[in-house]
Amino acid sequence: MRLLLVEDYRPVRDSLAKGLREAGFAVDATGDGKEGLWYALGHAYDAIILDLMLPGMDGLDILQRIRSENRESHVLILTAKDTVQDRVTGLDLGADDYLVKPFAFEELLARVRALVRRSYRRKHPSIKVQDLRLDPAAQRVWRGSREIALTPKEYALLEYLAMRAGEVVSRTDMWEHVYEFNAAASSNVVDVYIGYLRKKLQAPDRPALIHTVRGRGYRLGAAP
Amino acid sequence: MTASLRNRLLVGTIGAMVLLLICFSLLVYAVIRRALLSEFDASLASVADILAASVEVDANEIDVDFEVQQMPEFNDPDKPLYYQIWQRSGDVVARSPLLGTRDLAPFHGAGERRTRAIRPPWNRRAHRAISMDFVPRVDPENAEWSQVQVLALVVARDTGTLHGRLALLQWLLLGSAAATSGLAFLVAFVVVGRGLSPLQAIAGEIAAIDEEDLAARVGRASLPSELTPIRDRLNGLLSRLEKAFERERRFSADVAHELRTPLAGIRTTVEVALTAERDAAEYRAVLSECLEIATGMQSMVDTLLMLARLDVQQVRFKTQPIQLAELIESSWLGMAERAGQRDIRFENRVGAETTCPSDPEHLSRVFTNLLDNAVAYADHGGRIWTTAQRTDGAMEIAVSNTGCSLTAEQVAHVFDSFWRGDASRSATGTHCGLGLALVQRLMTALGGSAAAHLEPGGIFTLRLTLPASQTHR
Repeated sequence: MRLLLVEDYRPVRDSLAKGLREAGFAVDATGDGKEGLWYALGHAYDAIILDLMLPGMDGLDILQRIRSENRESHVLILTAKDTVQDRVTGLDLGADDYLVKPFAFEELLARVRALVRRSYRRKHPSIKVQDLRLDPAAQRVWRGSREIALTPKEYALLEYLAMRAGEVVSRTDMWEHVYEFNAAASSNVVDVYIGYLRKKLQAPDRPALIHTVRGRGYRLGAAP
Repeated sequence: MTASLRNRLLVGTIGAMVLLLICFSLLVYAVIRRALLSEFDASLASVADILAASVEVDANEIDVDFEVQQMPEFNDPDKPLYYQIWQRSGDVVARSPLLGTRDLAPFHGAGERRTRAIRPPWNRRAHRAISMDFVPRVDPENAEWSQVQVLALVVARDTGTLHGRLALLQWLLLGSAAATSGLAFLVAFVVVGRGLSPLQAIAGEIAAIDEEDLAARVGRASLPSELTPIRDRLNGLLSRLEKAFERERRFSADVAHELRTPLAGIRTTVEVALTAERDAAEYRAVLSECLEIATGMQSMVDTLLMLARLDVQQVRFKTQPIQLAELIESSWLGMAERAGQRDIRFENRVGAETTCPSDPEHLSRVFTNLLDNAVAYADHGGRIWTTAQRTDGAMEIAVSNTGCSLTAEQVAHVFDSFWRGDASRSATGTHCGLGLALVQRLMTALGGSAAAHLEPGGIFTLRLTLPASQTHR
């Protein structure tokens, strides 16, 4: 899942980006408002974490632009402004959540995961596809009762496929939601990782989970 | 009780009206009584004159005309009219039939004519009597002139009817005075009440204002002209209060914001570090990051405390002659490294011999803040310089830097607390927007002033003025 973090206070930005990456997210981070807007309009983020007082452009202006351009990304406002009026203004301008600094990192993670679930219209915290089960909070995967050890990148790719289980997912989509802006990778890498995943998810006497749809991409699980 | 405007007005108007009524009634009563009495006396006098004219001296006898004696006035027991006539010797010449054997008494002096109130001993009722001397008519044929003598006459009449009328008049006046007073009270009550109702209305409006909503203003409805200055002053006071409250509110909100942000920095940094086992170098990086944030917070808290102490005048000043150039150099020492990283050149143009009396500790704080600010906002490869010159009675010191991107309008705000050129935390992360606010307050406390100027070519200059002979606040 790919996140955008727009926060101008460097210590918060650096630690958050680090923590979110360790939690399995791909994170684009910036401290400048205008740059933040450029990122937000250029990519389909699964969630955007937005500070309000920013150099270059105010957070609320960014939010308004995102919404007026009909970007569906879920936005969490992260700010030290804590009055009811501030929250109401933020939420009314189209924010999906509001968290006041200082905050518990665990809470931020949980809220971001909830926003991501909402992006894919899911309510249940774990994802099940046939006999495959994913726990995004712990980044763990089971096939039947057997736990499967995955690298963070493999897990991220599988989680994205699982979120869209039953749909055909293009390589570009996968690449966009799993890799950061600065990543020196190309969508060919996706095919390599799909190969790894197929091997690890293989189970005797069980059907394959990842299907190749020629010319279009991959699909996890059976077509609906 | 009289502290109430309403009561004071009521007591004043009604009291004055009742007093006037009483005086007026007394005057009317006195005038009418006097008129009635003089009319009464005039009738007594005319009776006396008729009687006097009816007495004739005839052949050594003194006769009273029989017809006069038989006049009905002298015989009506309900409204008795008495008379009695004496000779010099005291012998009674004649008396009215109603007197019988009873006596009246003359009370006039020789040759006089007098009227007074009397109470005859036989019935103790109020009467008025006229007492006079007169010379009777003389029958020239039968009487000797030598026998002619002066006679005394008293005519008295019961004043019952007169006093009855006067009593009626008294009641009439008393009654009308009471009724008028009562009506006056009612009218005054209503008029005063109505007249004062705008006061109550405005009092109600004022009572409705609380400290949560100082945007309210009183007297939107039309007010009497006497109240408009009060309303205007009150509204002026309210708007000043509103501004002051708003400033305080914004200041506390800003303080909260500025403290929360670095706290969030520390918390997130530590929490993220604790989510996994890390090597020593990573922990060291986290610790030094937290130390840096804590140092920044400490300097902000120090500045806030200093501002608060300056506000309540708890700061002590020790004045001594200061070598300005030296003080500026020592303030620059802490900035030199940061300036070097961005190729910023510093030039201290203050003459080595320039001295000025001031408080070295606080003036040094002023320069530290100004130079720190200049380093933060000067352009890469820019310049910072300081100058000083003595003008009459004052020392003018200027700290300038190149690379200012503010507009003239923005420059006007540089002394506002928490104001930053960008409405957000600056890129350096340490400038929270209190430095110049502190500079201005310190300069005021030192007896001087601070002003910001934008000069052509993007040069930002902060001019300080210090009194050449020091006087604190």
